Amino acid sequence: MTRLVEVPTQFDDRSFDQFAASYAAAAADGARLLFDAHATEWASPYGLVGLLAAGQAAGGGGEKPLLTVPTNTDVAGYWARAGFFREAAELFEVHGKVPRVRPAEESDVLLPVTPVRAAEDVHDVVSRIQQRASAILAAKVGLDPRATMGFAMALSEACQNIVEHAGTGGWVAVQSYHWRRRLARRVVVIAVADAGVGFQHSLEPSQARRFGGRWGDAAALEAALIQGVSRFRDPGRGQGLAGIRRYLTRWNGKIAIRSGTARIAIVPSWDDDVPMQEGLAPFPGAQVLLIVPEQDSAEP
Amino acid sequence: MITHIDLQAVLRTSLAAPYADLVTRPTGRAVRASIEEVLAADAAVALLDFTGVGLIDFSCADEIVAKLSRDRVRVLLVRGLTEGHREALEPVLEAAGLAVLCAQADGTLDAVGRRASAGPLLEELLLRRFATRTAAGAVALTPA
Repeated sequence: MTRLVEVPTQFDDRSFDQFAASYAAAAADGARLLFDAHATEWASPYGLVGLLAAGQAAGGGGEKPLLTVPTNTDVAGYWARAGFFREAAELFEVHGKVPRVRPAEESDVLLPVTPVRAAEDVHDVVSRIQQRASAILAAKVGLDPRATMGFAMALSEACQNIVEHAGTGGWVAVQSYHWRRRLARRVVVIAVADAGVGFQHSLEPSQARRFGGRWGDAAALEAALIQGVSRFRDPGRGQGLAGIRRYLTRWNGKIAIRSGTARIAIVPSWDDDVPMQEGLAPFPGAQVLLIVPEQDSAEP
Repeated sequence: MITHIDLQAVLRTSLAAPYADLVTRPTGRAVRASIEEVLAADAAVALLDFTGVGLIDFSCADEIVAKLSRDRVRVLLVRGLTEGHREALEPVLEAAGLAVLCAQADGTLDAVGRRASAGPLLEELLLRRFATRTAAGAVALTPA
């Protein structure tokens, strides 16, 4: 028997919980899953890496899940340019026409969907983003040159979370686009996702007792992002997320992390997200979203 | 004697691939291990030259700079820092309650990290005659 997981028409961090709920319901009995993206009209980098994480988790039992390609050729073309299908081919039995495209030189895709499995991959990601993105971030997105330096650092630390804590591989993608409706500015978005053990499992041995009855996905996210704790006893650990948070606060950016059944966000004034959501549909691993907006000349 | 370490050269020789950036914990551990091989057992003062190093992230800042400063030498000097290097080093050292001393082009030293921790480091350099006070009241490395 095959169960259907509907990919939202507009697939981004806001609709991800709808996707996670559909995934959780369909995956409950271990049946083969069909991820239906035929009607999807748009997907953010967060949606794309999240979909790969779902495919990774769904295929863990053996048989690959199915994936239908968006029927809109522009959408499928963008997914191809973003490197999605290259990674999806490993995880899904793909049905539908996958466009053959070359990555465009002039593209808002600053880093296509890229696998992160080991420290070497983080080196590769950092090197590529510095070559490709620095000039674009400063010239096109209007980021202060000082913000572009920290951007690569934040990207490095976000990717290392997979290597250090997930217990499996994951993916990262970076893109810039104009957020007309939500912000009326250009933004640069880093999306990182894995289907690994998640924050609660990673931090449980060192933190569960401290939180007592409060322990869970939300407490684990709070411990990691707000208190800067790590599963390692080394006092120098836990600085990665703290550094990302500092960077985003300085440049009026946003971070949101979803893990298990909870989601935490540091919400800037331009956004209306909530700081913490609990009781969400369970989804494996961790999904991280970083957004850096175009800077006003007066900022920071 | 001050032990001089060319970080770019160490980075190129410590790992299987010739990376330009100091990123990830494993890279930081490998680079620190190479540096510790070069340092004499009783080395008290070392200088890390960042010239030519691309990016350093918080993980490498901790693995290399904070750990050498805390565990291996009495005074850690740095030079060739870019603004980006400082962005990683400052918060990591501050959080660890540590400071290192940054040698400017004219030899004068300024603190990176927790300012309160820099005073004893300057005193140590003055005591060992690796540094002197300038007429303007700053502390500068003694020319080699």
